[in-house]
Amino acid sequence: MRRKEFIKKSTLTVGAGIVAPYILPSGRLFAKSGIEKAEHVVMVMFAGGVRQQESILGRYLEDSQGVSGVAGNIMPNLFNGNAPTKKIVYGQDIPGQTRGSDPIPRLLSDALANKGMTFNEVRAQSAGHYVGLNTLLTGSISTAQGLKTRPLSPTIFEYLRKHRGFKATDCWFVGNGIGNSTPLLNASTNENYGLNFGANMFIPPITFGSYGQNTLSNSKAYSNNELKPMYEMKNFLNNSFALENSRQTTIKNTDDERTHIKEFMRATYTKQSLGQISMPPAVSSTDAFNVAYSAEILKEFKPRMLAVNISEVDGCHSNFTGYLRSLHRADHITAWLYDYIQNNIPEMKDNTVFIVAPECGRNLNPNPILDENDWMAFDHSDANSLRVWSLMVGKNVPKVSVGSEGNPIGRLTDLVPTIADIFGVYDDVMNSGYIDPMAMSQFLRV
Amino acid sequence: MRNFNTKHIIKVAIFNILIINIYCTKEIHVQYQVNSAYIYESKAQKFKNKNEAEYISILYTGLYQKAIDPMELFQAQSVLYSIGDQNVAKEMLLSGYFNNPKIIIPSNAEMRNDIPSFITETYKRFYLRYPSEAEKVYFTNYIKNNPEVTVELIYTSFSTSDEYSFY
Repeated sequence: MRRKEFIKKSTLTVGAGIVAPYILPSGRLFAKSGIEKAEHVVMVMFAGGVRQQESILGRYLEDSQGVSGVAGNIMPNLFNGNAPTKKIVYGQDIPGQTRGSDPIPRLLSDALANKGMTFNEVRAQSAGHYVGLNTLLTGSISTAQGLKTRPLSPTIFEYLRKHRGFKATDCWFVGNGIGNSTPLLNASTNENYGLNFGANMFIPPITFGSYGQNTLSNSKAYSNNELKPMYEMKNFLNNSFALENSRQTTIKNTDDERTHIKEFMRATYTKQSLGQISMPPAVSSTDAFNVAYSAEILKEFKPRMLAVNISEVDGCHSNFTGYLRSLHRADHITAWLYDYIQNNIPEMKDNTVFIVAPECGRNLNPNPILDENDWMAFDHSDANSLRVWSLMVGKNVPKVSVGSEGNPIGRLTDLVPTIADIFGVYDDVMNSGYIDPMAMSQFLRV
Repeated sequence: MRNFNTKHIIKVAIFNILIINIYCTKEIHVQYQVNSAYIYESKAQKFKNKNEAEYISILYTGLYQKAIDPMELFQAQSVLYSIGDQNVAKEMLLSGYFNNPKIIIPSNAEMRNDIPSFITETYKRFYLRYPSEAEKVYFTNYIKNNPEVTVELIYTSFSTSDEYSFY
């Protein structure tokens, strides 16, 4: 080999050796589009079908039960407005007084609506929960989406892992139950993305509830020296079986990430048994449990993207009083999670975008079911169910309020492009071919 | 004294025959046996994914030599379903099973006394097939060269591997 040819080939080889480890799973060397606006995104999928009237519009009983003079805001941490002064039933119970007569004190000094970007009137793409959740996570209209199946379009987790190169423990989905399709929302079946790019997931009421305690809290803590040969043998067996991507049944972490997750789980069971899990101060519901364990995940993994689903507001199908109470509590626990990030996770404080949006709204007219106060309940199926809002606060988020009751701006499918925009992979995601054609980043709508 | 005519006697006889035929049947002796286990000729024959309940039942029976309690199965199944990375879930589940003294597995000394036989039995136990020559060589060398390798770790690697999730 001549000297010149040798130098040329060796330079290319060394160059390829340096560059190769940084090639993204999408095949590109670096993420193509723009500047990252923040390092972390936390999205609260809020909270099981929320009417505009009792949430952002602050009408309390006025637009639902035909009672006048009882308007007011029962979500003081998220929105502005004075609380109702009459017929208070959404608060905490005080012995000897009307049930729910003591509203939970506001946790944040200022409402989130004053800290960032509020879209007051957004169009949801579905009046149902599951398609709504799909919309929030995929940015797709999801009209052909079936129940008890994984999303057909890629989720935001897959986009970020493929185009932004995030590892599995950078992306988390925290579900609220194993019913219906909730535990399938961490990855799609899309052939170009799928489980290989899916997010980690816990369903805290199960994973860290009594079932998880009974089943997993007895697990052994192996040392890294013990785990190394186990992983080596397992990798040999898996390579030997050579499972094709299309037959994958689970998302995959690296050996180190798996060890990290298992250590986290064992530590969490221990903390739980010692009563050391931080919980929202005024609520002990399943949603609060879910949010509390989301906080534990955030503190441990500092994920780039975490989505948590809460849903107790859905009790509105048969109990309007319960719905008001759940809405008030969902406001409280969402604010608690925001506050927890600011005060307990320095790596994420001032470096996170916090998003809150319902997956769907609720009907304009009630069904005939009466509750303890003789108030009528509401389902979700009509045009009013397609009316929702969204809130976004955090790093590089402008303080602005757009849209109104008569002037809807934006779609729920905007949120995936918005998150892609935050992480600088907007073009990749928009050009994937799976995003609602009418969707765009909320940063571009204002 | 009452008179019995022939017609009456015939009627009674027919009635008795009918009663005997209806209510008396031949006793059938049922004998239950264990089916022979199907041994796969190749891993390529496995294409169906075990669901959570199948995975846990088979694993539990294999390790404890008895069926799992239905409530325990339901809880474990739900927990597996609630964790995104099934490898994490299964490794945690299994390490809990190994923490139970009632588990029935060979000792490490038994394994090291006859490694080839242990490897063959492990493949049959978890994969329902015989190991290939390459697999035998790999595990023989691996066990010999790594004194820290235990039956527990080998069983964990097999029962959380991709192939064990298929049948």
